[in-house]
Amino acid sequence: MEVERLMRSAEELARKHGVDYYEIRISRVVMTEVSMSNGQLRGLSSNSETGIGARAFNGAWGFSSANDFGRFERAIETAMKIAKLSQGDSKIYTGDPVVDDAEMPVKKPFSEINIEDKVALVKEADSMLTGEKIVNRNVSYRDTIVETFYFNSLGSEIRTVVPRIRFGFSVTAKESGEMQQYWKSFGGTLGWEMVEGIDFSYWTSTVVEKAKELLKASSPPSGEFPVIADPELTGLFIHEALGHAVEADLVKNGDSILAGKLGQRIAVDELTVVDDPTLPGKFGSYIYDDEGIRAKRVEIIRDGVLVNYLNDRETAQYFDLEPNGHGRAQSYAHQPLVRMGNTYVEAGDWSFEEMLEEVKYGLYMIGDKGGQVDTANGTFTFGAKEGYIIENGELREMVRDVALSGKILDVLRGIRAIGRDVRIEYPGYCGKGQTVPVDDGGPHILTKALVGGLR
Amino acid sequence: MIDVIESLAEILNSKNVEWEIYWESGRSGSFRIEREALERSQRKFYSGISLRVGLNGKLGFSYITGIHHSLSELEKFVERTMKLAKVSEVPFRGFPVPSKVPGVKGIYDRRIEEIPFEDAHALALQYAEKMRELKGKETLSGSISLAFERYGVVNSNGVELEASSTYMGVSTYAVREDRPGNGSFYQSYRSLQGVEALEEAILKAKEDAELSARARKVEPYDGELVLEPEAVMSVVEVLLENFYGDEVYYGRSRFFTLGEPVASDAFTLVDDSTLEGLPGSYPFDGEGTPGQRSYLIENGILKGFLLDHTYAALLGLKSTGNAVRSFRTTPSIGASNLVVEPGEESLEDFEGVIIKSVFGEHTANPVSGDFSLPVGLGYVVKNGEVIPFKDNMLVGNVFDLLKTAEPGRVVKRISSFMAPRVKVHAKIV
Repeated sequence: MEVERLMRSAEELARKHGVDYYEIRISRVVMTEVSMSNGQLRGLSSNSETGIGARAFNGAWGFSSANDFGRFERAIETAMKIAKLSQGDSKIYTGDPVVDDAEMPVKKPFSEINIEDKVALVKEADSMLTGEKIVNRNVSYRDTIVETFYFNSLGSEIRTVVPRIRFGFSVTAKESGEMQQYWKSFGGTLGWEMVEGIDFSYWTSTVVEKAKELLKASSPPSGEFPVIADPELTGLFIHEALGHAVEADLVKNGDSILAGKLGQRIAVDELTVVDDPTLPGKFGSYIYDDEGIRAKRVEIIRDGVLVNYLNDRETAQYFDLEPNGHGRAQSYAHQPLVRMGNTYVEAGDWSFEEMLEEVKYGLYMIGDKGGQVDTANGTFTFGAKEGYIIENGELREMVRDVALSGKILDVLRGIRAIGRDVRIEYPGYCGKGQTVPVDDGGPHILTKALVGGLR
Repeated sequence: MIDVIESLAEILNSKNVEWEIYWESGRSGSFRIEREALERSQRKFYSGISLRVGLNGKLGFSYITGIHHSLSELEKFVERTMKLAKVSEVPFRGFPVPSKVPGVKGIYDRRIEEIPFEDAHALALQYAEKMRELKGKETLSGSISLAFERYGVVNSNGVELEASSTYMGVSTYAVREDRPGNGSFYQSYRSLQGVEALEEAILKAKEDAELSARARKVEPYDGELVLEPEAVMSVVEVLLENFYGDEVYYGRSRFFTLGEPVASDAFTLVDDSTLEGLPGSYPFDGEGTPGQRSYLIENGILKGFLLDHTYAALLGLKSTGNAVRSFRTTPSIGASNLVVEPGEESLEDFEGVIIKSVFGEHTANPVSGDFSLPVGLGYVVKNGEVIPFKDNMLVGNVFDLLKTAEPGRVVKRISSFMAPRVKVHAKIV
C-alpha cells in the first residue's frame, strides 16, 4: 500500500537527517458546492483532491506540503531537511502513541444524495426568499468529507473521517435608496439530515422580514451602554473577547493580555466558559486535532477564574499544561496553529425578562456579523445583525448596523447577568492567517460595551 | 505550452464544446519568527489544472491537482467536466477572444525563482538576528515569505497565454512587554529585498508599538480629521464590493448608474493591474483578458465597475480584466492594485485628529455604508506635539464620508494599495 511505503520512507529519512519527531497528514477531500443568486445558478462544482502535509521537529519546525502525488515523498524529505537546518531550542509534548480509526457518525451521508437534489434544495430556498422590496437573494450549499490518515514518529496511526455540511441564504431589501441585508446559516459535522431538519418556511420568512424591517431602523446612539446579547452574539462575543486571548501560541509570543493570568480571577464569579470540540454534530467539532491529539472539552474560565489555555504540542510543553488537542490546520497544506473548536458560555440563572428589567436605557443586540480582536491591546469589536433600544426594561425601536467594542478585562468583569437559555448552533469560520470551521454560543448575557452609532 | 496542457487541449478540440483551461504551478517558502527566534520554516509545492466547458449555453467546471497526468486521466477529467455541464444550469456567456496583452514590468525576479532554500533560510535567520539587535521593550515576531508561480490560460477561441511571477512578503509585529501596546508593519514586493527592507519593517512596527503603549482613549470628537493611508485602505475596503460587477448585476450594490456623482470632486479611485513592480499587477487575468487601468471614481463621478468576462457580458459592458482565481475556483471578481490619486493639498503637517489604523472592516455594512471601527492607533497633533490614542471607535457612513474626502499630496504604498492621507468629516466616539 502507498501509505505504508510513505511511512517506511519517512522513518528512513528521519534517521538520515537526524530528526527527533515528525508527523505526516495525508488527506483526501471531497467537496460539492452549489450557489444561486436571484434564481440563477451561479456555481456548481464537485471535486476531490489528495494532498500531503509533512512536519518535522528539531527544536524548530520544518514543514512541507504537496498536492501532486509524485511529490509526496519529496515533501517528506523537504520537511526533514528544513528541520535539520533549523535547530532551534523549543520543546514539544510527545507522549504515548495513538492508534485509532474514527468516523463521525451521520444519519444520512450526503455522498449518497445526488447533485440534482442538492440543486433542488437551493432552488427551493431561493423560491421562498422572494418578496416586495427584495432586490437580491443568495443561497449557497456546501458539503465536504475530509478523510485523513495521520502518522507520527511515536507510532501513532490515526484515520479519521469528518463530514461537514453548510447551508445558508441571504437577502437584500431596498427602498428609497436605503439598502439592508439579512441572512441565516446552518452547519454541522452532520449528514443530509441537517438540511432536512430546517424549518424553511420559518427561516426564509424571518430573513425576508428582518431585511425589510431594517430599512426602517435607525442608526444606534453612540457611547457606553448596557447591552444584552442574544445567544448567537454571546457566542461571537466570547470567541472574540476571550477565546483568541487564551490561544496559547499568542500567549507565548507576548501577544495576549491574559499572559501570566492562569489561576487568576479575570471575570465575574458566575462566568464559566468552555471550548468543546467533542460536542456531537457541531460545526467546529473534530475527533483528533491536526497533531494527532484527541479532542477534549476544556474549561477556560471556571467561576470567573482563568483555569486553562487552549494549546498544541508545543505550547502544552512550554506552559507545562496537559495537552488539550487544539492544534488545527486549515488543510493538509497548512501547519497547525492553536485554534478554537466550539466555544460557549455555560448557563447562569437569569431569565431574559429579568435581564430586561435591569436595563433603564441600553441595547438588545441580536446575531453575529463578525468580529475581530487585538489580543495584545485587549480590545475587541463585533457586529450585530440587528438591535433594539431598551428603555425602562422594555424593548423599543429597532436599530441597524450596530458594532460594539470593548476592553477584554473590563467587559468580562462587567457581566451583570447570565441567562439560562444556552444555544450552541451558530456555525462560522474563524480566520487567524488560516480559516477553520468553528461554532459558538451561550445564553443571553447582560454586559456593557462601547456602541459606535451615528447618533 | 506545457505538454499536459497541449494534450488536454487536443482532447477538448475533438469534442463539440467551448473550453477554457487555467493552470498554475508554484512553490513558496515562508519563515515565521517568534520572540526573535526562527521557529517555523516551510516550503510548499502546488499545482493544478482547472477546466471550464460551455455546452448548450451551460457551464461545467472541474479541477485536478498536479500537472503530471496520463492521457486516460485527462480524458476522464474532460468527461467529468462535460457531464457537469450537461446537468448544470449555470449560464455560459462565452470565453474571451485573444487581444493584445500589455507588457507589465517588474513582476518577476529570477533571484526569487532560483534562490536556494538554504539562502532564504539564512535571510530569515538574519531577520531574527536583526530583531534581537533592535529589540527594546518589545517582543518582536514576524515573517518572510517568498513565492514563485507560473500560470496560463488557453481557450477554444485561441487565447494562449502564459506568465511567471514572483512575490516577497515581509511583516513585523511588535508587542510591548511593559504595558499594553503593539505595532505592526507589512509590505510585499515582486523582487528580492535585502536586509534594509527587514530593518525598515522592524523599526516601523517598533515606532507604532511605542505610540500604542502611550495611547489612551480620547474624548468623543465630530468634525474634520485626517485618515492615514492605512485607515484610508480600511474605508475603501468597506466600499469596495459595491464596484464588483456581480454585485451590481444581482442588485447587491449601492452603485448602478455610471456617471453619477458619488464622492467629492477631489476624489479619484483607480484599479490598475499594469503598474510596474506592484504586488497586484499582472499582464492578463484568470480568463486571459488583458490587465488594464480602470477608473472606478474619477473626480467624484462613478466611472466604472470591476468586471470579469461573464458579468461584463451580462451588464452589456467590457471586461476590465479583474477575474481572479486559483485552479480550484471559477473566476471571481477582485481588485488588482487600488490607487487613491493624490490631491492638491499637503496634509503632512496637519494639526488635529489623525487616524493611523482601524480594524474590523468586515463588521461594517457595505450597502448601507455605515461603519463603526475601533481605532488601533490614532494621534492628536497640537502645536507639533503628538498625543497618541486608541480604543475609541471611528464612526461614519462611507458614502457620506467620500463626499467630504480631500486627498493629500504624498502617496504611500501598502502592498497593492496606494493612497495619500485623506482629510474627511467623521466622528470618533
